[in-house]
Amino acid sequence: MMFTTRMKYLVAVVLSRHVDELTKELLSLGLLHFVKIQDLQTGLETRVSALPLDVSGTRLSEIRKRIESFLSVIGTSPAIQNDVVVERLRPVDLEAAEKYLDDVAGRIEGFRERQKMIQQEILKLEGIRRQVDLFGDLGAGIRNDSQSAFLHFTFGLLDAARFDEFSAEMNTFPSVVLPLKEEGDSVSLLVIGMKRDEQQMRTIFSKYKLTEEELIPDLSDVKGGVAVTIDRKIAALTEEQKSLNAQSQAVISGERDRLNDLWENLRLNELYYRIQSYFSRTARTVLFSGWVPASRREAIEQGIRRITNGSYYLEWHDPEGLQKEIHRPVSVPVKLANPKILSPFQMLVTNFSIPRYKTIDPTPIVAVLYLIMFGLMFGDVGQGFVILITGILGALFGRFKKGMREIMKLLIFCGGAAIAGGFAFGSFFGLPGVIPPLWFQFESLVNPEVPLPAASPVKSIIQMLVITLYFGIGVIIMGLILNWINLIRTRQWLKLVFDRTGLVGGWLYAGGVYTVYFFATHDFKQLPGGMLLFAALGLPALLLIGKPIEEFFAHRKEHPATPFTPLTPLRFFFEWLLELLEFFTGYLSNTLSFMRVAGLGIAHVALMIAFTKIALMVGNNEWSVVGILIYAVGNLFVVALEGLSAGIQSLRLNYYEFFSKYFQGAGEAYSPVSLKGT
Amino acid sequence: MASAVRKYSFINAKLRTRLSKLLTEEFFDTLIRSHSIIDAMQILKSTSYASLEAIYSQTGDMKGAELELFKEEIAVFGDVERYVTGETRGFCRALTTFYEVENLKRAVRLWFDRAVRGRDIEDSLPYLYRTVIHYDLRLDQLVAARDGAGVLEALAGTPYADVFEEQLPEIQRMNSLFAFEMALDRYYYAELLGAVDRLDARDARIARRLIGVEIDLLNINWVIRFKSFYNLSLSDAQRYAVPFGFEIDREAIARAYDKDRVGEVFESLMKKHEGVVAMFKEQAADTNARLVLIERILEYALMQEVRKLLIGYPFSIGIILAYFILKKTELRKMMTILNAKLYGVRPEEIKSRL
Repeated sequence: MMFTTRMKYLVAVVLSRHVDELTKELLSLGLLHFVKIQDLQTGLETRVSALPLDVSGTRLSEIRKRIESFLSVIGTSPAIQNDVVVERLRPVDLEAAEKYLDDVAGRIEGFRERQKMIQQEILKLEGIRRQVDLFGDLGAGIRNDSQSAFLHFTFGLLDAARFDEFSAEMNTFPSVVLPLKEEGDSVSLLVIGMKRDEQQMRTIFSKYKLTEEELIPDLSDVKGGVAVTIDRKIAALTEEQKSLNAQSQAVISGERDRLNDLWENLRLNELYYRIQSYFSRTARTVLFSGWVPASRREAIEQGIRRITNGSYYLEWHDPEGLQKEIHRPVSVPVKLANPKILSPFQMLVTNFSIPRYKTIDPTPIVAVLYLIMFGLMFGDVGQGFVILITGILGALFGRFKKGMREIMKLLIFCGGAAIAGGFAFGSFFGLPGVIPPLWFQFESLVNPEVPLPAASPVKSIIQMLVITLYFGIGVIIMGLILNWINLIRTRQWLKLVFDRTGLVGGWLYAGGVYTVYFFATHDFKQLPGGMLLFAALGLPALLLIGKPIEEFFAHRKEHPATPFTPLTPLRFFFEWLLELLEFFTGYLSNTLSFMRVAGLGIAHVALMIAFTKIALMVGNNEWSVVGILIYAVGNLFVVALEGLSAGIQSLRLNYYEFFSKYFQGAGEAYSPVSLKGT
Repeated sequence: MASAVRKYSFINAKLRTRLSKLLTEEFFDTLIRSHSIIDAMQILKSTSYASLEAIYSQTGDMKGAELELFKEEIAVFGDVERYVTGETRGFCRALTTFYEVENLKRAVRLWFDRAVRGRDIEDSLPYLYRTVIHYDLRLDQLVAARDGAGVLEALAGTPYADVFEEQLPEIQRMNSLFAFEMALDRYYYAELLGAVDRLDARDARIARRLIGVEIDLLNINWVIRFKSFYNLSLSDAQRYAVPFGFEIDREAIARAYDKDRVGEVFESLMKKHEGVVAMFKEQAADTNARLVLIERILEYALMQEVRKLLIGYPFSIGIILAYFILKKTELRKMMTILNAKLYGVRPEEIKSRL
């Protein structure tokens, strides 16, 4: 758990006839992080060629993505099921799959065409409304319909009994039929349509014996009626469109099982051919290679043995041995082996970078430090409980992607840390005195109105800042120790001694801390004695010159042409000066940076004091309904804002102050081709 | 210096974030390779263009989606305008005049088709952008106008009335809107450069350069067409061209007019861009293909200028201009691809049109 998992490099040779079964076995095992033999340049690559694939991986992937886009129409996304077995893999007919998907697309397009026709009608109705709006007086428009470039107006009388039938027929094209008045058995109508449909309208007028009237009544109130009729029609048409959209979605829903099944098979085929894309061949054999966690070596061997009936040849290499053999560094994939419960913290680490092979996996340490920092910055039992519940609800019921799910789990931890901090500082939703503090009451340091208990172990903000400085020094020293372990494990001896984060660096930092401590505890008037000061600061500072010298010769080892000139020592001197400068500014800012832990804690308390005071002021120093509301909103605001700030600042301290001391990133993640993975 | 940092630090950070969200070439490639318009729309679902998918799946109306894109484009620049103040805001406002001018061109084209050419325009009417950008153009009244006087009445109270009135005899003489549209372009650039004059010295220099290059490219494109396809006289070509170019002036146009063929005209105008001319010379193709190539090369030249802006001093008007051009390019590309998908154009052909 503390270090990356030990890996083994496998080179395997099997007979060509076992390729299919072996591919399935390797997929089923899901253990091998494949590497093309050609990539390692072991010399084998000249004698082998790539295994030709029966199906194009790109085409498989494109069809699979097409299915995903179909399924996204109904808001679902396919995924490999937990119980999937490699036996479900069957040959895929890409032509047939594409034809099937074209057919589904064609059916949806049919609906879209109908939706489009309805849309045209809606737009025309909207056009009628706009044109009608242009008329100041509708009556004038009807009296002289040449005033409108696009509309045809008719005012006339119709047999009232035939009104519904007439309206229904007029509905076949964009028009407005507005009944104005009943006159005996007749009804007077205003009909508005597009000029282009005039012929069709006249045919319907004749059919229903609509008598056009010359005398146009006052139509000043009719505009509103036209708008209402148009709105009603548009609403009906929009509903029809929605129904067509629902029908198009139903097409996908109806095909869902088949689409899911096809998707799964395509995905399995993609993985199958991805594995084979790493295979190389000779006339009768197939070769492949890759990395496996050392602990799973036996499982791979067993699998290969079972499929090939013992007709195989395997070579296992340690990374170090392999590097020696090919005289080059190799990129070893990194597998982090943390308990599942630490997955949110592993996410924080890998978000920064993948640790280098053989170095420390900081996940468990980050988990502890992150939570301590969060608890110190955001210590409140009540608010911590809110974060905890949010995290639990999000993790249990939220439909999030993996990253967001991990953040929800992180919230659970942060909530717990905040609750612990709350008990330490005796804070419950920012109210002092509800819970007795186990350590000290933060509010009494910030709020002069809250008396400081005589027994409080922390008596001032300065003391709190000093505590966070001690905490920071502890974190930095821990980072340095972890770095020394990393350097020992990766056998970088000179770096271990001379680097800024090596032993000399640690010595100088410890000397600096002691000197500052001595100075502060002597009223800022006295430094340690001469010899002690030299031993604490002078000597390690001088020894730091080893770093530019070490770097120069390391560079020369790789580039022998690099000359050692009379000016080279001068270069060492200036680099040493710069190194010292960087050392002091870097370590000083790193250490002081931890004061933000106290700063955020103070800000948190101050904000809660402010909200509580405002809430009480509303009710004349009594709790009122409005006051409680303000207090609740204030709490939510603090949970959101301060929670986010504390989360980000904790992360920042880990990334920049802690990781910069030891973390060796830029590793490659172990990524085996498996049924559930890549 | 401090005031430039204060003025542009926020918008610079905001636009750089937005620039990082512009769609990548790989994304466009995926869109081009999608099997149908339905697939393409689904791909857009996970981008800032999700509203297009929503409109399309509700209405099946591609033109409606296109109008939505136009609206979004205007909204994007309105949004930028909100985050700047003073003369910079005035400049952003002038930039959005481009959309008003384009929208007016569309409306006047519809009017011309209906009132002069007697065509049925009812299917196109709904797709006019009717929201006021700067002036109330009364577009419905405009497209319904009986004649030029009616158009003038619809445009009354806007600066476009003067432009139209001035060009009306030309429209009637040529039976074409060409002169009016060119006049609108000249109006837009005059407005824009007027706003540039009010910027401080550094901003004005940067803006003049990029706008000048844009005008040059516009003029190069037109001059090639004036000379090779419309057979316009030199004086007409000089009259129609947009002034205020960066390198291409009346003399450059006159020199280019001495040449006979498309290629020679182009080479004459682009002679300061040796690499570009060399690229052009390498391509032997028919005239139309050469024109497409010229357009690509001009776009490439403009993108080079944009790239220079993005790596230059960050606290200047340059970032706004760069974003404006890149976003416009993205939207144009998007529309081309979606329309091509709608009509089933093959991926290779789409690529060649982009």
